Amino acid sequence: MLQNYLPILIFLGVATGLSLLLLGLGFGFGALFGIRKPYAEKQSTYECGFEPFEDSRIKFDVRYYLVAILFIVFDLEIAFLFPWAVSLSKIGAVGIAAVGIFLLILVVGFIYEWKKGALEWD
Amino acid sequence: MSFTEILFYVFSAVLVVSALGVITARNPVYSALWLVFAFFNSAIIWMLLEAEFLAIILILVYVGAVMVLFLFVVMMLDIKVEELRAGFTRYAWLGLPIALLVIGEIGSVVWVKSQDDKALGLSSVASPAAYAADYSNTKALGQLLYTEYLYPLQLAASILLIAIVAAIVLTMRKRSGQKVQDIGAQISVKAKDRVRIVKVAAVQPETGNTVEGQS
Repeated sequence: MLQNYLPILIFLGVATGLSLLLLGLGFGFGALFGIRKPYAEKQSTYECGFEPFEDSRIKFDVRYYLVAILFIVFDLEIAFLFPWAVSLSKIGAVGIAAVGIFLLILVVGFIYEWKKGALEWD
Repeated sequence: MSFTEILFYVFSAVLVVSALGVITARNPVYSALWLVFAFFNSAIIWMLLEAEFLAIILILVYVGAVMVLFLFVVMMLDIKVEELRAGFTRYAWLGLPIALLVIGEIGSVVWVKSQDDKALGLSSVASPAAYAADYSNTKALGQLLYTEYLYPLQLAASILLIAIVAAIVLTMRKRSGQKVQDIGAQISVKAKDRVRIVKVAAVQPETGNTVEGQS
């Protein structure tokens, strides 16, 4: 089975080699021919001429987190459906019933979040 | 040493290095990115075990979704790196013995057991035979999951349901005093609700006096 993935391994090798080569060339030429004279003003953030007054990393709304965690739950649900769909001819009616109950439990959660308004942005 | 074994050692070495990067990076965002790299390498190791479905799911779910959550938490907590460094040595007296204990336990299982009896050691377990090219890991997983492991599957659904409810209960907040557009009310409004026509007596331009009877 693993021989099916040999092209991916070759691709990984080529990608690693190419990125190392480009990085090495860039840093190598920079170290050879570049002039490095850093000082505090040069390395500070340029903000249209005035002093930077805020960190660029700010706290943001917790609602993004809610959307992401609801996405993850249904992402996992879909992940459970892939092996079911592939092996459906072997597992028969028992498999269909099992996934029916599985989806029913999650639909309860889906109705809950819909009615609760968690999918609304405001 | 076969080609697969060489690959295993190469990717395990990269995995260990990236795991070290997770715990030594100064910026929490950088350690999250190191963790992405570690997930990719462990996916490759799963692939070497011929568990292709699990390897792809690891990348899809962990790299695609769980890491986004980690980055969200890192950004939401607004961690100052200097404050984190200040507490590093304060908990070292607790952390170091625990780390040494875990290392000792792993070493005893892997090394001592492989010396004493051959039941648990590395040398006693033969590597399984390679599958044929048309072997489908996803199909094999599905046949086990939906016949033998029905009850754990339903438990997994219940845990996901709890996750939905817990996330909504913990983070949902209805903010008061919002200005929200109500499109139905906007469309169904009548002109007389909004515009009031007032009769005003006309004003003569020259004198400024109002003139009765003219309009």
